[in-house]
Amino acid sequence: METFSIVLSFIIFFGSLVLIFLEKINRSIVAIAGSVLMIGLGKILGFYSEELAISAIDFNTLGLLLGMMILVAMLEPTGFFEYLAVLAARASKGKPARLFILLGIITTILSMFLDNVTTVVLIAPVTILISEILGISPLPYLMSEALLSNVGGVATLVGDPPNVLIGSAAGLSFNDFLVYSLPIVLVSWTGALFLLRYLFKKDLAKRPRRSKAVMKLNPAETLNQPETARRILIVLGAAILFFFVHHALHIEPSLVALSAAAIALVWIQPDFHVVLKKVEWSVLLFFGSLFIMVGGLEHSGALSMIVKIFEKASGMPPVLFGVLIIWVVATLSAVVDNVPITIALIPVIKGLGETGLDIAPLWWALAFGAGFGGTGTIIGSSANIIVATLSEKTRTPITSALWLKRGLPTMFVTCFIASILYMLIYRWF
Amino acid sequence: MYVKSCMKTHVVSVLTSTTIREAAAIFASKHIGTLPIVDKNNRPLGVIGIRDLLKLEMPDFINFVSDVDFVHDFGAVEDTRPSAATLKKTVRSLMRPVVTVEEDCGLLRAYAMMLQQNLHDIPVVSKDGKLVGIASRVDIGVMILKAWEKVE
Repeated sequence: METFSIVLSFIIFFGSLVLIFLEKINRSIVAIAGSVLMIGLGKILGFYSEELAISAIDFNTLGLLLGMMILVAMLEPTGFFEYLAVLAARASKGKPARLFILLGIITTILSMFLDNVTTVVLIAPVTILISEILGISPLPYLMSEALLSNVGGVATLVGDPPNVLIGSAAGLSFNDFLVYSLPIVLVSWTGALFLLRYLFKKDLAKRPRRSKAVMKLNPAETLNQPETARRILIVLGAAILFFFVHHALHIEPSLVALSAAAIALVWIQPDFHVVLKKVEWSVLLFFGSLFIMVGGLEHSGALSMIVKIFEKASGMPPVLFGVLIIWVVATLSAVVDNVPITIALIPVIKGLGETGLDIAPLWWALAFGAGFGGTGTIIGSSANIIVATLSEKTRTPITSALWLKRGLPTMFVTCFIASILYMLIYRWF
Repeated sequence: MYVKSCMKTHVVSVLTSTTIREAAAIFASKHIGTLPIVDKNNRPLGVIGIRDLLKLEMPDFINFVSDVDFVHDFGAVEDTRPSAATLKKTVRSLMRPVVTVEEDCGLLRAYAMMLQQNLHDIPVVSKDGKLVGIASRVDIGVMILKAWEKVE
C-alpha cells in the first residue's frame, strides 16, 4: 500500500510539472487540480488529509509575496519607474554603452527589492521609447534588463520567489542573504554585464541618429502622482530597514511586508479595487497549490525515497555536491519554472540535513541554480517571457534562437563564477 | 434627409494592385483622408485611411506608454521613413474591411455608424453595390445642423 501511495503521489506531482512545462493549460489551474487530486487520493489511501495539506502551506512565503505585491501595485501608477528610466536616459547623454549600463543597474537594483516581472513590465516600455527616439534597436536593452534582473534578484531575500521560499524554509534572514548571497551575486552580475556588453557590442557601437532628443525628456512630467510615490517610497524604505533587523527583533519578513502594505494602504487610501486587481492572485494560488502537492509527496514517503537517492550522491565531497546542485538546478530552471523545482527540492535538502549532512551551503547552491538558470532560455523565467511578449508588438521581436545566443552564455558565465566562488568559500567547511 | 443629399460624388478610389507609394501620392495630391479600394466593377472591397499609412511611421512605444507628455522631442522617430520594400507592397496588405451605407440611409444612422466604428468618412453605395459617393463626419454633421434653422 505504501509503495502504491508513493508511486501515485509521484505521478500527480510530476504529471503536473509536465503540464506546467507544456504550457497548454494555465499553470495555476494545473496546480490547483493537482493539489486537490493529491488530497483526494491521500485521503483514500490514508497518507494525506485536509489538515496536513493546510499545514503544508508556507503562509510566510505567501504573506511576504502578497505584501510586496500590494506595495508595488500602488507604486506602479505613480510613474516612478518611468522617472528612473528617463533619469538614466538623460544621464547617458544618448550614448548607447552608457545607457546600457545605467538601465541594467536600475533594473537590477529595483529587482533586488521588487518582483522581477513587475520591474521588467514597467521598465521595458520606457526602454522601447528611449531607444526609438534615439533611433537604435531596443533589443540589447530589453534582453539585458530581463537577464540582469534574474541575476540581481538572487542577491536578496525578497528579490526572487525561490529566495523567499528558501529563506522561509531554512530560516535564513534578510541579512543572511546580504552576507552569503549578495557578494557572489555581485561578482556574477558584473560578469554577466561585461559578457552582455561584449555579446551586444555590434548593436551598442551604432551611433544613435538623434542623441539630443533624450535630453528633452522631462523626468518631472513622468511622475503622475508625486505625493503617492513619495509616501510609498518612504514606507518601502522603512520596510527595507526592518528587513535588516527582522531577525534580531524576531519578526517574520512576511509581517514586515504585510505591515508596510497596511500602512501604505491607510496612508494613501487608494482605490482598493484597483490595487486588488493588480495583485497577482494566480501566483499566490500557484504557490499554495504547489505547497499542498509537495506536502503530499512528503507524507506519502516519496520525498524520503528521493532523499535516499540524493544521499548516495552526497557521498562525494560536500563542496562538489553543492556545485552539482547549482548546475542541475540551473539546467532544470532553464526549461521549467524554478518555483516548483525549488518547492520540491526544499524538503529534500531538509531531509539530507536530518541524515547529518551540513546543508547550510546547499541552500545557497539551490538559490544560485534556481536564479541564474532562469536566464538560459526564453521560457526560463517570467521576466524573459514578458520581455519577449512585449517585443512581439514592436518591429524588432526577440526570437527564442536569439535568446539562446545571449541567455545561455549568461547562464554559463554566472553559474561558472558562482561555482568558483562557492568552492573557494566553502572549501574550509 | 438621406446621405445622398450631402455626400461628395467625385470619389477617388483605387484598385487592389495600387502600391502603397502610389496610394500615398493620391492622398497627398487629392488631400483626402480615406481611400476606398474597389474591384473592376467599382464595388468596394476595402478601405485604407491616412492613419493606416501613418501607422507605418508611428513608433512602437505609443502602444506601451499611455502618456507621452514628457517626451518633448520624438528624436529619431521624426525622421523614420518606411522602407522602399514596404512602399512597394500593394494596398491590399493595409486594406481594412469597408463599412458602407446605401444612398437612402438616414443621416443620424450614418453618423452613429461612423461614431461606433470610429470612421472619419463613409463610402456610399447604390442599390447594386457600386461606389457612388463618400461622406465625411463634417458633411453629415452640418447637414443635420442645417435642419435646426427651420425649428420655430
